[in-house]
Amino acid sequence: MSEKSPQSTDITEVLETVEDVSPERNGLDRLISRGARGAAWMILFAMGISVVEVFLRYGFNSPTSWVHETVVFLVATSFALGGPAALAKNSHIRVKVLYDNVGPRMRHWMDRFNDLVILGFCITMSYAAFHLFWRASHNPMGDWQLERSGTSWNPPIPGLLKGIILFALLLMTVQALLHFIQSLRATPEERT
Amino acid sequence: AEYEWSFQASETSGEPSFKIKQEWADKIETMTDGRVSIEVMPINSVVGPTETLDAVSSGILDGHMTDPSYFSGQDPAFGMLGNLVGAWSDPYDFLEYMKYGGGEDLYNELIEPYGAHNIASATFPLESVPTIEKIETIEDFEGIKIRAPQGMVYNIFERIGASPVNLPGSEVFTAMEKGTIDAADSTVLSNNDAMGLHDFAKYPLYPGFHSMPMIDISINKETWDSLPEDLQTTLETGFDAMAYDLIARLKEQDLETLQELKENPDVEPVDLSAEERKKFREAAKEEWAEWAEKNDMTQKIYDSATGFLESRNLL
Amino acid sequence: MDISTATMLMVGAIFALLVTGLPLAFITGLVAMVFTFGWFGTDALPLVTSRVYGFITEYSLVAVPMFVLMASLLDRSGIAKDLFNAMRVFAGRLPGGVAIQTIVVAFFLAALSGIIGGEIVLLGILALPQMLRLGYDKRLSIGVVCAGGALGTMMPPSIVLVIYGLIASVSIADLFAAAVTPAVILMGSYIAYVLVRCLKDPQKGPPLTETTRDNPFASRLDAIKAILLPALIALMVLGTIYGGIASVTEAAAMGVFGVMLAIVIRREFSITMLHHSLAQTLNTCGMIIWIGIGAAALVGVYNLMGGDRFVSNLILGMDVAPIVVILVMMAIMLVLGLFLDWIGIAMLALPIFLPIVTQLGYDPIWFGILFAVNMQVSFLSPPFGPAAFYLKSVAPPDIALKDIYLSVLPFMAIQLVILAILLLWPSLAIWPL
Ligand code: NA
Ligand code: NA
Repeated sequence: MSEKSPQSTDITEVLETVEDVSPERNGLDRLISRGARGAAWMILFAMGISVVEVFLRYGFNSPTSWVHETVVFLVATSFALGGPAALAKNSHIRVKVLYDNVGPRMRHWMDRFNDLVILGFCITMSYAAFHLFWRASHNPMGDWQLERSGTSWNPPIPGLLKGIILFALLLMTVQALLHFIQSLRATPEERT
Repeated sequence: AEYEWSFQASETSGEPSFKIKQEWADKIETMTDGRVSIEVMPINSVVGPTETLDAVSSGILDGHMTDPSYFSGQDPAFGMLGNLVGAWSDPYDFLEYMKYGGGEDLYNELIEPYGAHNIASATFPLESVPTIEKIETIEDFEGIKIRAPQGMVYNIFERIGASPVNLPGSEVFTAMEKGTIDAADSTVLSNNDAMGLHDFAKYPLYPGFHSMPMIDISINKETWDSLPEDLQTTLETGFDAMAYDLIARLKEQDLETLQELKENPDVEPVDLSAEERKKFREAAKEEWAEWAEKNDMTQKIYDSATGFLESRNLL
Repeated sequence: MDISTATMLMVGAIFALLVTGLPLAFITGLVAMVFTFGWFGTDALPLVTSRVYGFITEYSLVAVPMFVLMASLLDRSGIAKDLFNAMRVFAGRLPGGVAIQTIVVAFFLAALSGIIGGEIVLLGILALPQMLRLGYDKRLSIGVVCAGGALGTMMPPSIVLVIYGLIASVSIADLFAAAVTPAVILMGSYIAYVLVRCLKDPQKGPPLTETTRDNPFASRLDAIKAILLPALIALMVLGTIYGGIASVTEAAAMGVFGVMLAIVIRREFSITMLHHSLAQTLNTCGMIIWIGIGAAALVGVYNLMGGDRFVSNLILGMDVAPIVVILVMMAIMLVLGLFLDWIGIAMLALPIFLPIVTQLGYDPIWFGILFAVNMQVSFLSPPFGPAAFYLKSVAPPDIALKDIYLSVLPFMAIQLVILAILLLWPSLAIWPL
């Protein structure tokens, strides 16, 4: 109805540049970014079934037993996977006051330091997540048994989610390792 | 102190039962001449409520005082013993079952493989159901949208024709205020009142008939086994006493609230008749029988609990 | 090491790591990890991941991706553009008119939702580029978006008030009633501030000329037509909450559904657009949620270390007038607000403060309102200001975190003044009770 004003394309362009402002550092990062775009459809699915629940409950007085838990599962999964996705795009928020005001050599060392710290953090977190998942996937006798939610529907969502947390952290560990190797090899000029 | 322990509870710090738990932790410190010091921490302060069993067995927490239903996802037996919906009409009957009818032994059989030991069990007075629509018979539940979170209670409400809605506790207030749901499996009368639910839930069902969650007071099993006998006995005696104290004091609060609600012209508390309660219990019993088939432990609990109820002519 | 030394070390470590430029998402988590290991050993490390699990399954966070998705869809379709073009027509010649409209829109969004973040993303995508394009002062525009967007947790139905009510065992209805006046005062103060700044210096918010006003709509009627559809969506979402159809969280999903319907009706729908919006949503959530994860872990380990008893003894050890105790509590929460999100502060501080507040004879409803206003400050305050993170995740790349923090300072000052006013005149909040 209204003609496209030249300014309106600006927003879209700005947004596209936001998405591309921090390009992935290696093949794994690109793969993760692509996978994350696919995984993002979970959020749409969560929206869709929430709407279904509202219609069924209000329109037909027959609420479901499964929507609420599924929505929490889908959203929690997208939160967990958002970690590696943001790491792949290097879009985790930093305070760059010092970083932006030092020379390339110093900045290069700061990169190495940060990549090393992130690697250490991800390794320790993966270790902790492994224990969390092991307990959620084995009964006291040591047999495989996924922890369930204990509700009427009783899906194995807690066990699955703890597995997804472990998966996300393991991914981030590999990412961090590759980033650290890259920053070790790089020369100060390459990393500005 | 010789032993300094952190126990996580299942209430927020403002709830009266939390303060009673804290008082008894202090009393135990006095009784043990300062050798045992227990810090009672509110819900979510260290780990989430479903995670305390893992935390106790791995030694992150020393113990917990919580509702076993949170662990139903690990074994349905926790939900069955922790809140056998519809079974109890008096919390003292439940304590009698746990302490003299074999309940606590069964519970320890269940929880000890997880690396925790049950020192004592306690319970709350029966919960009240806040409702917007007036409910006088079990048939009136037909089509009522009632918030019901956990397994057994959800299925039993479904059995009597209600439409259970799975909502988290934080959404109960707004959903009832706006009429998104008609009723809720919430908490005891005085707590519901403190939340402000009776401003629109004008027909609370009291005394309760459905839900009465157990409080499991458990400690890390290795810690327990390493304790000298005198401390073990003091802890058992102390927490047993707490169980009776808790019921008496919370009941008093409920009765005070009930009096206020009766004097309030806008609110009309409803007391379901004995026949209606029996109808609910019959629906509930069918559900227990289904749960009994889930595993050996749920079958044992079913046999033991129904046996006790029959022996007391309560079924 | 005693707990007071540990507390100072924790704060010191956070600041030191901030300076190195380490992503914020890893700083609090790392500190939590190091202290768990140092204080309790390897066996306790799963405490940190247990908190991660607890945090991401928090039901109130379900609305976050819904709002981000809604914002992204509105923006990628022509709806956002039309909406703000229409606002431009109605903003008239009032200096700062669009900024004031933004605050009013933020206030209505606040009545729709109870969580932080979604509104800021929405306004950050819709209103901020608009104001910048019209030549509004950058800092004023950013401040308006952050402070206005934060109002969602002050206006009922607010999750902050619900959680406070549950922790304090006080009436949520009373909290909702008491929060409305302070929320309106906050909104009014933001508007007054914008007006004063723009009247003094019209360059901060240039009034629209006839030509910019007329473009791109031929008449006011066209402008009304353009906003009709979005207005219907907003009404639909409001209607589902207040009509008892959907819960507050479900209403966020209904909002996304409504926006998608509108896009289809306008024949602007495409799978590519949806795909991009979803990808942006996942990435934004990844950035935001992982910062909260670390804070949640930090609270868990600090409580287990006995941090709660330490703070409690600190307050109980003071021999001062009761109102000074309240002031100290406010100060502690403001300091905590530098590092933690509101859930963390609620879990850490409220269990300690509430018994003392009631013991001193103060009304816990009033304290709840003070808490809510205090949390408004914490949303904005650096170095961990969730409002800033939400905005940063969608703002044009040339807007640095530093710009955002400088922009919110005057609005933080306004919030602090209102906090002081509520301290002195409790009846401003609790008069409806
Ligand atoms: Na709100
Ligand atoms: Na802050």
